Amino acid sequence: MLGELLHILAAAAVSWILFVTVDILFKLPEAGGVSGASAIARDIEAGGGALSGGTMMGNIVCSPDASAGTLLAACGVYVAGIPGGLVAAALVFIGNRICHDPGYAGTTGAVLATFVVYGFTQVGFAATDFIAGMVIAILTIQGLSHAHASRLLARLWRVRE
Amino acid sequence: MDEILVLLFAAVALIGALGTYLQRDRFDKLIALGIVYGGIVPFIAARGYLDVLIAVSLIVPITTIIVLPLCRRDTRDA
Amino acid sequence: MIAIYIVAAIAVFAVVRATVEKNTGRKLPYVNVMNFAVAGAVVLLIGHPLALVAAAAYFVGSTLEANAIASTYAGGERRG
Repeated sequence: MLGELLHILAAAAVSWILFVTVDILFKLPEAGGVSGASAIARDIEAGGGALSGGTMMGNIVCSPDASAGTLLAACGVYVAGIPGGLVAAALVFIGNRICHDPGYAGTTGAVLATFVVYGFTQVGFAATDFIAGMVIAILTIQGLSHAHASRLLARLWRVRE
Repeated sequence: MDEILVLLFAAVALIGALGTYLQRDRFDKLIALGIVYGGIVPFIAARGYLDVLIAVSLIVPITTIIVLPLCRRDTRDA
Repeated sequence: MIAIYIVAAIAVFAVVRATVEKNTGRKLPYVNVMNFAVAGAVVLLIGHPLALVAAAAYFVGSTLEANAIASTYAGGERRG
């Protein structure tokens, strides 16, 4: 029970680092991909947040990005191993095109996460730990405090620049 | 799917339904309708009706997109 | 099998936050958390390969819905 909880928390930390790194490398905080992302960024800035962090959060809402790729890749590894993760990457690619997103952040994140999750299943983690961990990771970005999360993302984005 | 999960997901659907009834803004009502749908999805999945789930997942967002032009902002600000 | 209880509890928490929040633009990230939780719960409930397709269809569909609502809320041209 306690061991599984610790595994889930460790998986949450790993997937948080993975999807934030991929999203920032693919320049999600730079500009809103669709007009809805910019509107969400404006509202978050009006609530006391930072604009570039808010833009990244709006992009996460409006299109499947690396966070969705990580979640679906973990689901794919859980149901079918590495081929399941690659099928999940293909589904994320289709979802990106449906949502008018020209980027490749989601597909890259899904392929990377497939191998990361598979590697961790070899050392004692279960793939379900990564599903729950990814939900916890997205909760810390989108669900606890928009002002603090967007300021943290803006600080990481300044480091990338 | 045991009693705790039934209670939690039913709470999601019921909070969404209450929100749909109580909120004034039309966008907020549409978002709350999406929450109702999200609470129902695990019940469809727990029975194993995955084909129904895939069909419903594609029909519900298209319904929302068809309804959206009816609630443009400039007609009457709620 | 504690994972599914964590996921379900996070879904309820996100829904409560989304209902309490007044600003429409700040509601959508909370609903996004609920979409992640429900998509994870579908796969955790049944570990069948078709569940992956169902979770992806649910996730892409609800993302498209949030995208359309946000674009109309912004007042911009909605493409597609």
